[in-house]
Amino acid sequence: MGATGEWVLLSYRLPREPSGPRTTLWRRLRRLGVAQLADGLVALPADARTRESLEWLADDVLAAGGTAGLWVARPATTAQERELAAGMAAARAAEYRALAEECAAAVAAGPAERSRALRRLRTEHRAIGRRDFFPPAEREDAARALRALGGTAAAEEVAR
Amino acid sequence: MRWATRAGVHIDRAACAWLIRRFLDPEAEFVFVADPADVPADATPFDMRGVELGHVGGDCSFETILRRHELTDPVLWRVAEAVHEADLDDGRFDAPEAPGLDVLLRGLSMTGTDEHTLAVSGPLFDALYEYHRRRLLLGREPA
Repeated sequence: MGATGEWVLLSYRLPREPSGPRTTLWRRLRRLGVAQLADGLVALPADARTRESLEWLADDVLAAGGTAGLWVARPATTAQERELAAGMAAARAAEYRALAEECAAAVAAGPAERSRALRRLRTEHRAIGRRDFFPPAEREDAARALRALGGTAAAEEVAR
Repeated sequence: MRWATRAGVHIDRAACAWLIRRFLDPEAEFVFVADPADVPADATPFDMRGVELGHVGGDCSFETILRRHELTDPVLWRVAEAVHEADLDDGRFDAPEAPGLDVLLRGLSMTGTDEHTLAVSGPLFDALYEYHRRRLLLGREPA
């Protein structure tokens, strides 16, 4: 059996009502790029940063009247880990593809809209990169599209 | 006074330590622990799970300390925006310096001890504070 890596898991249960804390938690989990293993169970590859992020969320769940537990675990087989990683990579790939499409659309836009889009898409690109633990090929496509958009915007500045 | 936080200092803990030493306790001594159970009895914990001075609601620990200690200095609150975005990056504030600050602090955690990170980042936060102080006084970007 090949060696599998360490993962940090957050198990949580939140009251159905009010829905505010559920929505906030969902949004924060999404920003972290977690793998949803089951209802109320998410995972991230373990490092100091991911562990700390999930620790704060565990506290948020407790503060909202729920229950939460933090676990460090290894998938029992490499196949299971590979499946987990592939699922996360596919989710990021979809985000990178959407970003590349938005970049292409922004190249065709007017100068003011283009520079606004460039700023927004760079922020978005950084956010995706932060939750990208298993970089898919689409990552490079998105970076290239963003560079092209940046190049167009800069050429515009010079011409003006 | 003694203050305790978790080992592996990043932006929020480094900023908190600077804030504590500059504005709350010039004699502050810092202890770094791996587990909340290891916090010495005489130390005040910060930026750890389950302690008063941690992440509260959407706030990072730096903001929580400002609130709990009723520090209303607008310059500190502007520094807090940079710390918040460097730590949480949730887009709540417009702090263009935040990504750079995050990269520097992460790099410091790779090249030295927690004590070294605090020693180096202290003057950085002094500089950030002074820049924003002048900016607020002038009402524009300082030279």
